[in-house]
Amino acid sequence: MKNFLALLLTLFLGYMIIASLSNNEAFPKYGEADVSSRVSQRYIDRNVTENPGEVLYGEATNLESGSANTIAAIVTDYRSFDTLGEVTVLTVSALGVALLLGGAKQSRIELNFKPNFMLRVGSRALFGIILMTGMYISIHGHLTPGGGFPGGSMIASSLLLLYLADDEFRANIKGVKVIQSVAGSAYVIAGLLGLFIGTYFLENLLDTAVLGDLFSAGMIPIIYVLIGFKVGSEISRIIDNFLTEESV
Amino acid sequence: MSAILLIVVPLLAAFISILFKKASPYILLIVSFASVIVLGYIELEVITIGGFASPYGINLVFDQYSLIGLYIVNTLFFLVVAINCVKFKEMSTILLIALAGLNGLLLTGDLFNLFVFIEISGIAAYLITATNKNPLATFNYLVAGTVGSSLYLVGLIILYAMFGTLNMADMANEIAVSGVDASLVAFPFLLMFIGLGVEAKLLPFNSWVKGILASSNKLTGPIIASVYAATIGFVVGRLLTSVFVFSDTLGLVITIILLASIIAGEAMAFSSNKVREILLFSSIAQAGLVVLVFLQGFIGWGVFLVVANAAGKFILFTVTNHASDELGTDEVNDLKGLFVNNKIVGLAFTVASLSAIGLPVFLGFVVKMNILGDLFAEGNLFIPAVILITSVVEGIYFVRLLIKLWYKEHDLPVVQYDFIIKYVVVILAILIMVFGVYTAPIETEANDLDLISFVEGGNL
Repeated sequence: MKNFLALLLTLFLGYMIIASLSNNEAFPKYGEADVSSRVSQRYIDRNVTENPGEVLYGEATNLESGSANTIAAIVTDYRSFDTLGEVTVLTVSALGVALLLGGAKQSRIELNFKPNFMLRVGSRALFGIILMTGMYISIHGHLTPGGGFPGGSMIASSLLLLYLADDEFRANIKGVKVIQSVAGSAYVIAGLLGLFIGTYFLENLLDTAVLGDLFSAGMIPIIYVLIGFKVGSEISRIIDNFLTEESV
Repeated sequence: MSAILLIVVPLLAAFISILFKKASPYILLIVSFASVIVLGYIELEVITIGGFASPYGINLVFDQYSLIGLYIVNTLFFLVVAINCVKFKEMSTILLIALAGLNGLLLTGDLFNLFVFIEISGIAAYLITATNKNPLATFNYLVAGTVGSSLYLVGLIILYAMFGTLNMADMANEIAVSGVDASLVAFPFLLMFIGLGVEAKLLPFNSWVKGILASSNKLTGPIIASVYAATIGFVVGRLLTSVFVFSDTLGLVITIILLASIIAGEAMAFSSNKVREILLFSSIAQAGLVVLVFLQGFIGWGVFLVVANAAGKFILFTVTNHASDELGTDEVNDLKGLFVNNKIVGLAFTVASLSAIGLPVFLGFVVKMNILGDLFAEGNLFIPAVILITSVVEGIYFVRLLIKLWYKEHDLPVVQYDFIIKYVVVILAILIMVFGVYTAPIETEANDLDLISFVEGGNL
């Protein structure tokens, strides 16, 4: 009965969405929205504070947000405060997992298979490659799709590989905690520097250089690397909490 | 000094306290105390973040409205922490993040940023309620809260597709300029309202409240029923009065649901035999009343209703939950005669409950009286009738409760209240009485809040 009611409610909600949005003149049809009147157009043209004229890859300099990847420009520059919030969401979730599953003394949960020697050695070799890819994606977040969130998840996944391929392996959780704390604090401090040296919190203080260069976009790559470390350490800690248990 | 520090400093402290477990309760105590003190030194302004003016960047609105909210929320938060920080050491980091989230909710002027802070403070709340040792209730709360915030997000996505902006003031402006009919935007606003309704304990979405507050302890009771309730009250107030556009039909439907919420809450409280349940059902009713007042557009008195409820519920839950933590029960009959040996705490409890009923000399009376007056002035008779009848019901069950807690000859329950609880509840009770008699400052403040529009840059 409960399930049936839930189904009815879901169908009703679905009907409501369709009924209220189809033929709704305020809701533009797919592909017909007038983008020029929206805030997002200014992010693409980079003309929120001043008009830089035409923005060309490899030529434009000193833009208000010098990241070639527009998503990165929005996520870590125009709306960086939201990203700080999302990082906090991840932190508090990881803390919650540690609070509920963690204890004073932890040891590994027994896996129901015995990893053999080849698997252990092979996974160590792969670990480095995955870690490097994760780093690369974090560092190049302002140039290519990716950035700190997927990069950090990759870093954590390299640790997950070690956890699964070796039933004795445990990461240095103290070190993970230090990264977790320092990367988060550094993000906030980077913001505070903007407030005290410049005028605004999270202001981009550094020179944004030439659009498309590795060393460009000012604070964006720095913040993305910090996010990469932060996300990587949070997820690693969650992985560790799920794969360990309180030892007797 | 910039108001953004109210969000950022607790956040920084939280990140640092991950490394210093032993010092974290003291960091929490210092930071939450500093947040209250620092409020007196910040100028009212709209704060731009990252150097991009709204609507392109995110802004924080630090105006008269958020100032009152910040004062009450930060003060009560500090008091909760002062009472609990030794007992719940392991929660320190999470409480710091909760403080950042709550201040963010009160300050932000951006609808998506609001969602981020709903998530931060929400997840922190789920973890704080984990100390109730009632995992099923906490899980229910987690599911309800997450579904609620997802509905808010879906509503916001639809609005963004319609108007292409996320800033609150800009959104209100765009809707007004585009001249669309209110019925066309009814659905996204309804979704967002439901999303907030989960946290605000409104009727069909509040199934989590009973599990959480009925098993609450000295930390979770005051923090959920008072601190979080006040914050979400302020958020709903700002959105309802300045951003949301409801068509007449939808407004009527919501009004009826809210009235049902008030009546159901009071009826459930009336029929309950457990102290914590009586209080939690009464706070459901009060939450309905708060939203109703904001929906009618009375900003000023809505604000003071939130303040009066928060202060009252803080006293009621702190006193009750300390007793039930000590005795392991909250049946009214087991707590009979609780105040015979705890007269000071008992007096504070009495003041808070009489103020909740709305008897003269207490803050609750001033607020209810003015709301009723405003409603009558608008020629509205149905809503005042419901408020008056439910106040009578409220009066009956609170007085019944008070009589039981005050009178018993022998076999008195043994509960010791420590110095700090006595001190805190008495001060709050005195404040409730002072502002119940000396009403001039709140009256001017309420009228000021009514006059100025948030959309034109806030009540600076």
